[in-house]
Amino acid sequence: MSELSADKVSVAFAGLKALSGVDLTVASGQIVGLIGPNGAGKTTLVNVLTGFQAATEGSVRLDGQGLSGLRPHEVRRRGIARTFQGGRLFRDLPVIDNLEVTGVGLGQSRKAAIAEAEAMLDWVGIAPLANRIAGTLPYTDERRVAIGRALMGRPAFLLLDEPAAGMSAQEAAELSALIRRIAEELGCGVLLIEHNVGLVLGLCDHIVVLDSGAVIETGPPAAIRDSERVRHAYMGTAAETDLPVLEVEA
Amino acid sequence: MSRSPLRRSLATPVLLGLILVAFALVAWAVGSKPFNQTIIDIFLKVIFAVGLWVFIGNSGVISFGHIAFACLGGYVAAWTTIKPMMKGISMPGLPDWLMQTEIPYWAAAAVGAGWAAVWALIFGAVLMRLSGIAASIATFAMLAMVNSIYSNWDSVTAATSSVVGIPIVRSVWPYLIAAILAVVLGWAYGISRHGLALRAARDEPTAAAASGVNIPRMRLIAFVVSGAIMGMGGALYAHSIGIVTPDTFYLGLTFITLSMLVVGGMGSLSGAVLGVLFLSSLIQGLRWLEAGVQVGTSTFALPGGVQEIALGAVMILILMFRPAGIMGNRELTLPRAGSDTPGRSGPTN
Repeated sequence: MSELSADKVSVAFAGLKALSGVDLTVASGQIVGLIGPNGAGKTTLVNVLTGFQAATEGSVRLDGQGLSGLRPHEVRRRGIARTFQGGRLFRDLPVIDNLEVTGVGLGQSRKAAIAEAEAMLDWVGIAPLANRIAGTLPYTDERRVAIGRALMGRPAFLLLDEPAAGMSAQEAAELSALIRRIAEELGCGVLLIEHNVGLVLGLCDHIVVLDSGAVIETGPPAAIRDSERVRHAYMGTAAETDLPVLEVEA
Repeated sequence: MSRSPLRRSLATPVLLGLILVAFALVAWAVGSKPFNQTIIDIFLKVIFAVGLWVFIGNSGVISFGHIAFACLGGYVAAWTTIKPMMKGISMPGLPDWLMQTEIPYWAAAAVGAGWAAVWALIFGAVLMRLSGIAASIATFAMLAMVNSIYSNWDSVTAATSSVVGIPIVRSVWPYLIAAILAVVLGWAYGISRHGLALRAARDEPTAAAASGVNIPRMRLIAFVVSGAIMGMGGALYAHSIGIVTPDTFYLGLTFITLSMLVVGGMGSLSGAVLGVLFLSSLIQGLRWLEAGVQVGTSTFALPGGVQEIALGAVMILILMFRPAGIMGNRELTLPRAGSDTPGRSGPTN
């Protein structure tokens, strides 16, 4: 059992606090949701967890060991993978090469990386796309390629930054099923940042809600759904409307 | 599902090698000394362009400094192949063991490659942490620094004086072999895991870092490989003309080789090679026309300077209408059936 944690993490940009004393823990096989309105600091927290942004205060730990000062590629080699808003695929490379880059980045030979990439494409369900140039893919497939690329080398933790953005309900449901498989079959701890609150409520074991850089609520989906503070953060008022829940097939 | 990167892209170095062999055969068949020298010069430019491509093409960082490595290689040829007595006159400050060293030209080319690679490692360890225009300016500073040292270290480099007495190699074949070797090295680098990782970092550095790619290290490897190729080219350049000065390896050679890479296409090994062949042929053709062509009893000659104007015009046209160069980032390859994407996993893209 592995554990990734942020301990009282703060980030300030020229005096502006993007994060204030944020605590968060993800364990192996667990799906943790990170939600909050725009500008809440969700992506900043992922950047801190993956070495792209240094914390002004606080620390990030993997199984108790500090990750501060590690560069992004070093964090990835410790088993913490991420995706990006907008995919950030290597658009001129074929899909299989997109996955292969992670393999060689982690020190595999090209032959070994190709073999794992082929297996991963199959597992994610996009094997027929192996030779397509990544920049020509439809949006939904791009997201699956990004997830497949991040899963190369079997990371212990996967941080997904708005993977369902722009997806239809059906596509979001399929994505949910894939994320659940990642946690259950690969034993990977997943941190899911998502604006689709319904998807997060229906999928996650635990949810952390950020607003203006601070944690305003944390708990199981049912508690989050009933939280007045969360509704207020999202809707600007203590609305009576329930937050939607996306039903996901197990 | 897939073939290995080696088998998928093998056609590229084979085809490029055959084109170079064809050029050598033409030189051999024509048998004219000036034409022979022209083909030798083309092969040397191929070596330089391929050396540049290994770094620029794969990293996306424009380097103005690689001719410094050719300079290092050129002076290695001078230090190791000139007769000891002549070295004693022009470069009296050389250490005794080097003063007495006299090795064949091919060994000097190998030593020149190694010497340039060592310095590429030293310079690169600092420079490869930079990106974009900062890195480009730093490589130019490296070129200026090497030129300045070699222009002033009188006892070891003869400063700005010409170092003469380098054995001249007039046969086209050694240069052909070296050009093919450069192409094979460039191709091997391109299909290596380091080449793939660096191209990914060129296109999406953030995603590459998140994929575990150590970008400065990948750039450094490319810098050292390309430095070695340039060093080999520099040594052979010295043997092609028998004389070196620091300015032999400075701005003129820098900009002509960069132009050839831009015209051919920085995104592919084939672009690097074909850019040299295209521009060199154009320059040579215009030189002949400037010298005058006999048609019947009349001689037609272009005015002097047309060559430079035409070169500039070609550059402008390429940048306007085909900014990715003649090859448009594609590799020369055999037409084939099937669904494989051209150039997949090879040195292109």
